[in-house]
Amino acid sequence: MTAASATLYETLANVLADDMADREVGFTGLLTGSAAAIWGTGIPVVAMELARRTHAPDLTLLLAGCYHNPDLSVLDRMPDCEHDAQLRDLPAEARTRDYPGQWALKRGDVTFGFSSAVQVDRVGNINSVCIGPHDAPKVRLVGPILQPEHMVCFRREYVMMPRHEPRIFVDKVDFVSGVGFPGGRKGREALGLDWGGPRFVMTPLCIFDFDEEEGAMRVRSIHAGVTADEVRAATGFDLGPLDDVLETPAPSPERLRLIREIVDPRNLLIPNIERAPDARETGADT
Amino acid sequence: MTAGTSKLLSIEDAARSVPDGARVAFGGFAVYQKPMGFVRELVRQGRRGLTVVGSAQSYEVDLLAAVGAIDAVETSYVGLEASGLARQFRRAVEAGRLRVVDYPEMVSWDRFRANLENLPFWPVPFLGGLDIVTTNPAIRRFDCPMTGRIMYAVPPADPDVVVIHALAADERGNVVTPAKYLLPQSQDVLMARACNRVIVTAEKIVDPTYIRRHADHVQIASYQVEAVVELPWGAHPTPALGAYNADPNAYAEWVGAADSDAALEAWLNRYVRIEDNDAYLNAVGGARLARLLDLGDLT
Repeated sequence: MTAASATLYETLANVLADDMADREVGFTGLLTGSAAAIWGTGIPVVAMELARRTHAPDLTLLLAGCYHNPDLSVLDRMPDCEHDAQLRDLPAEARTRDYPGQWALKRGDVTFGFSSAVQVDRVGNINSVCIGPHDAPKVRLVGPILQPEHMVCFRREYVMMPRHEPRIFVDKVDFVSGVGFPGGRKGREALGLDWGGPRFVMTPLCIFDFDEEEGAMRVRSIHAGVTADEVRAATGFDLGPLDDVLETPAPSPERLRLIREIVDPRNLLIPNIERAPDARETGADT
Repeated sequence: MTAGTSKLLSIEDAARSVPDGARVAFGGFAVYQKPMGFVRELVRQGRRGLTVVGSAQSYEVDLLAAVGAIDAVETSYVGLEASGLARQFRRAVEAGRLRVVDYPEMVSWDRFRANLENLPFWPVPFLGGLDIVTTNPAIRRFDCPMTGRIMYAVPPADPDVVVIHALAADERGNVVTPAKYLLPQSQDVLMARACNRVIVTAEKIVDPTYIRRHADHVQIASYQVEAVVELPWGAHPTPALGAYNADPNAYAEWVGAADSDAALEAWLNRYVRIEDNDAYLNAVGGARLARLLDLGDLT
């Protein structure tokens, strides 16, 4: 097994794990649908479990925001509901069943979370409320859900986007349901926001991070086998020069072994190597 | 020990007590333990002009939107989770028949906490930059009188009536919450403590002796409850924790009913425009219901 054989999902989980520190608290929802479940739950859980088994043994994983460090090894399949009998009976260190519960949301107890959206814009605002005007939408979507809290009350946010297209990565979102860096860090301060904001935006083509002074999203790395022109063509706003952007680093052989043999030996979280397509196919797949 | 006064009502009478135009909060959360039997009765009675206020909505709002029973929804989410978008809700909003007031998820809970504490608003410091504020004149910005920092005053949920579905209650309105409850059940408790009018549908009306044996789990006490209704499988097709799981076949039927007007009519004729809840259970079928039982962990 070589590092070159890592799937995109394993590669992203590894990058995320590297960004996590010991004693942090990570919050992930329990998403449904194949792509959303892989990007919104599978990759984040693999990343957190990988971090727990390497440099962050005291990291706390909050599955569905409620189940503290659940024992996934007892599961026959990943749950597809956040608050039903299967989760009630899942062994865990603690279960959140009240609001407010164990973690004090507004005191910043949750270090990082994962969210997805229908639109992301150049300053990192996200939208899951509507396309078109709010009072006469072309498309009505599910609503803000917990995005506002994810992007402000958590200390940082990873935005996981299963698709990378110009209509999704737009100059300005139609409705701000999660605040990025409008006006940079100073802009957030002027809005009265104490901390938090998007750290990475991950797509099938690249990883974005932020110039937090300028408040601009920028390409941090491009995945193996993807060209800068492809990233540019898939993005609805100008990305500036991409000549010096590095390739997204692959996991080490030891990290790959941990993911495949220890963290997700039964492929409950992310598809196995035979079924996992390469980066571009992943984008088309969804 | 006195027998006390029974608050037991028929589902018809309980639903009739919710007038057209009322602000209603349905218990449960997202696709979990929604008082669906009560909602079907509201539709049966042709209720109009309701506003639904809550934290996360699903099948109840989709059904009410399909028949034009609601004018507005104030919440953080309307969707069917694994079954996708709530298509009837979506159509109604896009056609301008239904207004949505969007709130962040935990702020939606905080709005009920404001009512529970009898406060005129709930202070939220983290709404800057959100179109949740720019599209909602009911949220007012103010400067914190202590620190001067930016704050937003969010209006309370202010439901006229709360409707929850529980496993067990006695005739006086003491409601038992299972020991191993989850967030949807604590949402019920919060809502019930935050409103003067609380209607409880229950899987089973139990003897006072049963209530006294579970006193530690009576989180909603009789004096908070206006009416109780015995309504077996009253959350179906959503799950009732400790009694039954979600019914994926019924979910699929509802999703299919959004394919055309004719499909919706057929669905309504089969499941709503019928005699009562017993007729509903017969329409679903006893064999199918029997397979949804939640056995718990048996320890």
